[in-house]
Amino acid sequence: MEWLHVLVLIVVFGALLLLGVPVAFAIGIGTLVTMLLGMAADPALITVAQRMATGLDSFALLAIPFFILAGQLMNRGGIARRLIDFAKAVIGMLPGGLAYVHILASMLFGAISGSAVAAASAIGGVVGPRMVEEGYDKDFSAAVNISSATTGLVIPPSNILIVYSLASGGVSIGALFLAGYLPGILVGLSLMVVAGFFAVRMNYPVAGAFRFSEAIKKFFSALPSLLLLVVVIGGIVAGIFTATEAAAVAVLYAGILAFLYREVRVRDLPQILLATVSTTAIVMLLIGTSTAMSWLLSYENIPQIVSAALLALTDNPVVILLIINVILLVVGTFMDMTPAVLIFTPIFLPVVTRLGMDPTHFGIVMVLNLCIGLCTPPVGSVLFVGCGVAGTSITRVIQPLLPMYVAMVAALIVVTFVPWLSLWLPAVFGF
Amino acid sequence: MSAAGVRRVVDRALEWLLITLMSLMVVNVLWQVATRFLLRNPSSFTEEIARYLLVWLGILGGAYAVGKRIHLAIDLLPTKLEGRRKAILELFIEVCIFVFAATVLGFGGSGLVWLTLDLGQTSAALQIPLGFVYMVLPLSGLLTMFYSALHGAEALNRFRAPVEAIDDGGTV
Repeated sequence: MEWLHVLVLIVVFGALLLLGVPVAFAIGIGTLVTMLLGMAADPALITVAQRMATGLDSFALLAIPFFILAGQLMNRGGIARRLIDFAKAVIGMLPGGLAYVHILASMLFGAISGSAVAAASAIGGVVGPRMVEEGYDKDFSAAVNISSATTGLVIPPSNILIVYSLASGGVSIGALFLAGYLPGILVGLSLMVVAGFFAVRMNYPVAGAFRFSEAIKKFFSALPSLLLLVVVIGGIVAGIFTATEAAAVAVLYAGILAFLYREVRVRDLPQILLATVSTTAIVMLLIGTSTAMSWLLSYENIPQIVSAALLALTDNPVVILLIINVILLVVGTFMDMTPAVLIFTPIFLPVVTRLGMDPTHFGIVMVLNLCIGLCTPPVGSVLFVGCGVAGTSITRVIQPLLPMYVAMVAALIVVTFVPWLSLWLPAVFGF
Repeated sequence: MSAAGVRRVVDRALEWLLITLMSLMVVNVLWQVATRFLLRNPSSFTEEIARYLLVWLGILGGAYAVGKRIHLAIDLLPTKLEGRRKAILELFIEVCIFVFAATVLGFGGSGLVWLTLDLGQTSAALQIPLGFVYMVLPLSGLLTMFYSALHGAEALNRFRAPVEAIDDGGTV
């Protein structure tokens, strides 16, 4: 009986998705149709509506619009330029220097703005053209941009880790944030290795000699932006405030900074707020309908069934983790990150905790995994933005992206099977 | 007033409502931080207000995003089609959005409002009737129906007059 329901759910949801119905509505309609198979219309409709509202009724989720707003304020504050200059002064002297500069700037900017799409357009929009000017292949620089833009989703603060904390039933946001640092840096380094290999082979130029005084100067110019990370992460880790309060403080900090730099005026504020509301609304409606679908799946006992099926298949943790990773990679290619985390965390988390995996570690693995899906067709928001910014097409950018995918998957495998990478920092800080 | 005129008024009103909700959210949580650190007397109700503001912002914003056509969608098929076929597909998409808004948000949402008001359920800290919080569901449902009906009518017009196909920008 349950399998018929699941089949209907997958078919309706998949068909609507492919036809071009917005993802949030495809999830909602799929859920509703499936529920109508098993219960009367009145309770089904009221339940879906209620799950949508209660799905958003969470103080932790409030951090998401705040981080988006802080990012919006900082985007206008010339922060991208300062971070790029800083990155260039530090690692620009290597062969293929601009490629490294791009990756480092994406990691920093992605961390601060918390959005891979914002990183792809802000950093890619500035460094991309400069790379092409210096003789880099356009599709190669687009591939560098697309793959490195996702690193900021693992390096804290990270909205998607807040969503995971919610979906997992309360894994500490502070622990998740700290856990993201080393894996995020590992992905960045893996991408630099690939970029370096191609830079040497194509004989790409250095971006400038290293001068200590210049590095110090650029560091102080970027310092106010970097300090935001210290205030937010430090505040959360030290237990001074919750992630949501830290995010509100980040808004205040970014706002003051933007006004001091005279890059935002009061009359720009309504437009900035509206842009924030738009991005927030897209995420929140996805969270609302995904919560309804997640409720339906647990109502149908799907987590227990999947868990039993996976454990009946094998009790080898390595194999099970590989299976889960492959499923998530496939899911990530066509599904956005937020619904994927909300729907699949309750299904897979019980399995991996049975195998003795730490829920914090699994969160990092899951987000890192789904990051790869953001860069792959058919649905990859970062892929689309990256191609748009560089003025190239998906078919052309795929070839230089292939080695980047390999690097990201390699990093994912390392992070999956070396728990220490995720759990060492949280342990140091007593989580 | 013309349909476009009504739409402009609804757009502006919704935009300002959402901007107000967003600003209140920021001020409210900053107030919470301030009362804890400066006054050492944490206010008990800011957290609840913040959560309900987010419910309103998220659900109402969903309708706004329908109006602006910025909800995430896979637009491979819509961009491949042309002329009348494209118009039919667009009409189908708007019908899906309309039906979901009418049934779940409109019907289910107002059912939930009546149910919670009838049971007299109130929030823990502020004692607000929960029905007031859930009222955003039918409100957002009405607005979503309004926008998807307008978009559906546009698609229908393009179906009838496929020669002068107008590019509407599409979804992102």
